[in-house]
Amino acid sequence: MEKTVERTVTLGSKSGLHARPAAIFVQQAKSFQSQITLVKDERTANGKSILSVLALGAEQGNQIVLKISGDDAETAINKLVPLLEGDLG
Amino acid sequence: MTVLRGIAAAPGLAVGPALTLRPAPPVDLAEQRAVAESVETGRLVQAIVQAMALLERLQKAAQGQLADILAAQREMLDDPELKQGAIELIASGSSAEAAIARVAARYADQLASLPDAYLAARSEDIREVGRRIVAELRGTSTAIVLTQPTILVAQDLAPAELAGLDPALLQAIVTETGSATGHLAIVAQGLDIPAVVGITDALSQVDTSTTLIVDGENGIVTINPDSERRDEAEKRLREVQRERRHLEIYRDRPGLTADGTWVEVFANIGSLAEARKAVEMGAEGVGLFRTEFIAAQGLPSEEAQYAIYTEIAATLCSPLIVRTFDIGGDKPVPGLDIPAEANPFLGWRGIRLGLDQPEKVFLPQIRALLRAAATHDIRIMLPMVTTPQEVEAARALINQASLALAREGYETRPVRLGIMVETPAAALTLDLFTGLIDFASIGTNDLVQYTYAVDRTNARVRARAQPLGVATLRLVQQICLSGIPIAVCGQMASDPSAIPLLVGLGVRELSVSPARVPAVKQALAALTLEEMRARAQIALGSS
Repeated sequence: MEKTVERTVTLGSKSGLHARPAAIFVQQAKSFQSQITLVKDERTANGKSILSVLALGAEQGNQIVLKISGDDAETAINKLVPLLEGDLG
Repeated sequence: MTVLRGIAAAPGLAVGPALTLRPAPPVDLAEQRAVAESVETGRLVQAIVQAMALLERLQKAAQGQLADILAAQREMLDDPELKQGAIELIASGSSAEAAIARVAARYADQLASLPDAYLAARSEDIREVGRRIVAELRGTSTAIVLTQPTILVAQDLAPAELAGLDPALLQAIVTETGSATGHLAIVAQGLDIPAVVGITDALSQVDTSTTLIVDGENGIVTINPDSERRDEAEKRLREVQRERRHLEIYRDRPGLTADGTWVEVFANIGSLAEARKAVEMGAEGVGLFRTEFIAAQGLPSEEAQYAIYTEIAATLCSPLIVRTFDIGGDKPVPGLDIPAEANPFLGWRGIRLGLDQPEKVFLPQIRALLRAAATHDIRIMLPMVTTPQEVEAARALINQASLALAREGYETRPVRLGIMVETPAAALTLDLFTGLIDFASIGTNDLVQYTYAVDRTNARVRARAQPLGVATLRLVQQICLSGIPIAVCGQMASDPSAIPLLVGLGVRELSVSPARVPAVKQALAALTLEEMRARAQIALGSS
């Protein structure tokens, strides 16, 4: 069943969404069917695109809205929210 | 026949065919497609698949830092937005080449505009990815694969590009840009590959298969040599090889003076490839691992550093002395905000920067080293030390890291700590460091520069510095009087005329570029300790 879920999270990674943390997030995001979007200060990024996630320039403490729509949206949000809140390394 | 003069970057002689690496002609960003949209889109998708296959091949052959760069580039190649952006431009009439170049440039500009040097540095990666796809579209894909002994001629070569090549087939390197002290020069010296840099119009005069003679000692490149020059070079090459075979007997024996005093001969390295070379040349350990070389793309994480240190230590099976990051205003690192300084050699660098930024710079490296030292003989060396207080502060941080690791369940054990002696302040007061450090290593290049107040990058005054001058030698004498075990890891350590003086004054470890190890052992074997002491006394200039 097509579903859309949305959650606001505070970015926990010490170095923001830099190369390594961004790569970890994107790899996880790619494992889901759903469309995954990150929004920071009106800027939108495709959660499955390393380039667009990097271009957000997100830093530790930033508020990020995570929007997920698709069949596995519920599973995806449960997996990805803790990822953004924790320290991705 | 043409003779070109450049800058001697790494010694050695080579004769052989050139392989030119030319910068690709720029893409016309306004170029329109000549075929139907679906055909052009097909070309693009095909090119991305090919570029991906090439990167996977390169990645398999790469190690460490280089493997990380290639992994990041692969991730970008596989990016859905990159592909989608290009497909949209093709739909509106653009050629595939122009489309991918425009989308790559757009992301590169976005990343470059972020107020973060680390992300800004990633913009180079996406440009490189764009170039790789364009090369596939044009059918000029650029995997450098050497199939025969080759002299590489390029505009510039990053150490990463060099690291991916087979050192057995790479005979020599010629570049249009670069300096004698640049990264390329140091890496080439470590791999024992002759290099001449700064030949400004090399690519306009050389083609692939052109025969070259590269004289890395004198910085001379001869294009299409006549038979007389070629015979002469080949004769010299045979002599050098004979000399090498003669030196081989020194490889497997320790560094000993004629009367049997043991002076350890160690190697200076900056990469895993150089560690392998050090083992091959018979180094008894590594006296200086320049870790700033693994930070060219930004400071690696604790995990990445742990992997590098463990891999190198396992390759060596002998002591590995790791110098903590020696970075500063003249060696910028992506992701670290180091302001430009009027006098970077007298500025915020080495241990000063490490102690001021413990969380970002010093502690992750110390944690990685302590973890690796649990299973390998790894020792830590601090750069640019001037006072015992700096060592006390560093010790406190090392103890803090060690306790934290133990709490986290890691096995740790005490690790030996040493300092670089490269300031007159440390040289004159080394006795005050007794009990704080286990060893010290003289960085002669910097010590000479600070003692004679001569900037070694300034060609006008460079010759005024006196590595073997009385001032330098008296400082070495003072250092050895401290009773702390003393090594030398600067250029002096491989100079045959300096070796007797250093050993005569009390130095018991010489750390040199891997290729020089056998020659240093030979120089040690030429004189007894007594004879070296007598030479040192004369050189000290005492009446």
